Amino acid sequence: MNLLRRALALTALPAILLGAWWIASDGSTSFYFPPLREILAEFGETWTADRWAADVLPSVARLGAGYGASCLLGVGLGLLIGRTTWLMHLAEPVLEFARAVPPPVLVPVIMLFAGIGDTMKTAVIVSGCVWPILLNTIAGVRSADAVQLDTAAAFGLGRTRTLVSVVVPAASPRIVTGMRQALAVGVILMVISEMFAAQSGLGFAIVQFQRSYAIPAMWSGILLLGCLGVALAALFTLFDRAVLHWYHRMRERSA
Amino acid sequence: MRRPLALAVLAITLIGTVTACGGEEDDTGGTDTVSVGVIPIVDVAPIYLGIEQGFFAERDIEVELTEAQGGAAIVPGVAAEEFDFGFSNMTSLLLAQSSGLPVEVVANGVASTGEAGADFGAVMVAADSPVQTPADLADATIAVNTLNNIGDTTIRESVRAAGGDPADIGFTEVAFPDMPAQLAAGNVDAVWVVEPFKSIVEADGGRPVAWNYVDAAPDLTVAAYFATTEMVQEDADLVARFAAAVAESLQYATDNPDAVRDILATYTDISTDILAAMTLPAWPAEVNRDSVERLAELGETDGIFENPPDVDALLP
Repeated sequence: MNLLRRALALTALPAILLGAWWIASDGSTSFYFPPLREILAEFGETWTADRWAADVLPSVARLGAGYGASCLLGVGLGLLIGRTTWLMHLAEPVLEFARAVPPPVLVPVIMLFAGIGDTMKTAVIVSGCVWPILLNTIAGVRSADAVQLDTAAAFGLGRTRTLVSVVVPAASPRIVTGMRQALAVGVILMVISEMFAAQSGLGFAIVQFQRSYAIPAMWSGILLLGCLGVALAALFTLFDRAVLHWYHRMRERSA
Repeated sequence: MRRPLALAVLAITLIGTVTACGGEEDDTGGTDTVSVGVIPIVDVAPIYLGIEQGFFAERDIEVELTEAQGGAAIVPGVAAEEFDFGFSNMTSLLLAQSSGLPVEVVANGVASTGEAGADFGAVMVAADSPVQTPADLADATIAVNTLNNIGDTTIRESVRAAGGDPADIGFTEVAFPDMPAQLAAGNVDAVWVVEPFKSIVEADGGRPVAWNYVDAAPDLTVAAYFATTEMVQEDADLVARFAAAVAESLQYATDNPDAVRDILATYTDISTDILAAMTLPAWPAEVNRDSVERLAELGETDGIFENPPDVDALLP
């Protein structure tokens, strides 16, 4: 019963919106806003196995590589900076500056040193994804309980033991929050990176459809992009539950 | 939980826009105000000159130029009646027409000079490149500003005409301003550039290997001013006056190349050296119909159209 209600709650709004879209657009003769009926029919025709192999998979692979690299870089540097007070004071203004630079304006610069291939696209994703993870990791590390840290020191735990057993668990809820934010940024940058010097990819395909006035196909690509976002968010929730089950249980108990 | 919100925004935007279509026409004291969507590049210098010379005012037209970010935004802008007229390259217009967008050319825009060695666009390579002839481009990576458009279809024709097979050319999209640096960095083997970027690449030591506009057709019409079919039919008088003013502007630009270079300094950031060095395009008053048919054929050969375009329906 509970499960049924949750399933209903999850699907109700999307169903209503799609229904409203369907009805509102049904008689549409507007070139740029074709009926949803046409878009869905186009969806099947457009996103064939070939297209998945040619455009969707390369995009997802670049997103995976960029996101993975961002996580490693963000958490690694975040732990280092968060645990080193002088480094944190030194780095803070620079970090705030760097995170405020919108990655799309960096693309032409990134193209100069990373070329125009997959490295460039991955680098663009990293250039935006790394900040939420890095800053959240630093904040998470700083928020580690002082009593716990003192206790660890009193028991003579080494630097590594303290990091693994006290700091990382304390920072992990913030790290996961940063990773969740970065995922959304990553999907956006995946599309943006493919608008420059691209030869394949989901974002590339959508722009091509738009330019060749294949508007239903363009909308089908946008829908696919949205679905990809939903799927990634769902996967992330699973990851979140697996890694932070103790934290969620603790919060439920205290609530 | 974030995605349903995105969908909601999407649906609301969509419903809002479907119902909010429709433009308005301004009539103030006998003068028609028209908005024209242009890209601030060399090609549209005549319309800037024509406004300055009063060719539009003479015909009771006040022109408001809107500088669009890229050519891709202009056709949708005209279709949505945000602009009354727009400037677009011919292949984009053929694409729009063949996809069912009701657009029609109302006046010529810009044309190739028709001279190999002295055109305003070319495929360029670095000085030390092994590429010597268009046929050598057959397996090269070539940067074009837009894929599946006038650049790649005409370059393929250059390669075919030189006896090469264009099937293995690796076209990649790079914005014109980024091309000189990408060529210098060796990220691409060749770049297709138009002025002023052609002169910038030349100043860096680049050399032209193919004159794709010249190879595609004699005196190729590259771009034109266009409006919606609805506008052409319902406001025939205004369209005719606009077309006449553009034609006069094109003639003026042809007769006064120095005025062109002067006006370019007002709306572009082209440096004085490059301004003096660059090759100006041709601005004939009439669209070259044969060349447009040729572009349609080339596009069909390369499979960029879903349906065959109707050149007669597009041209005046």
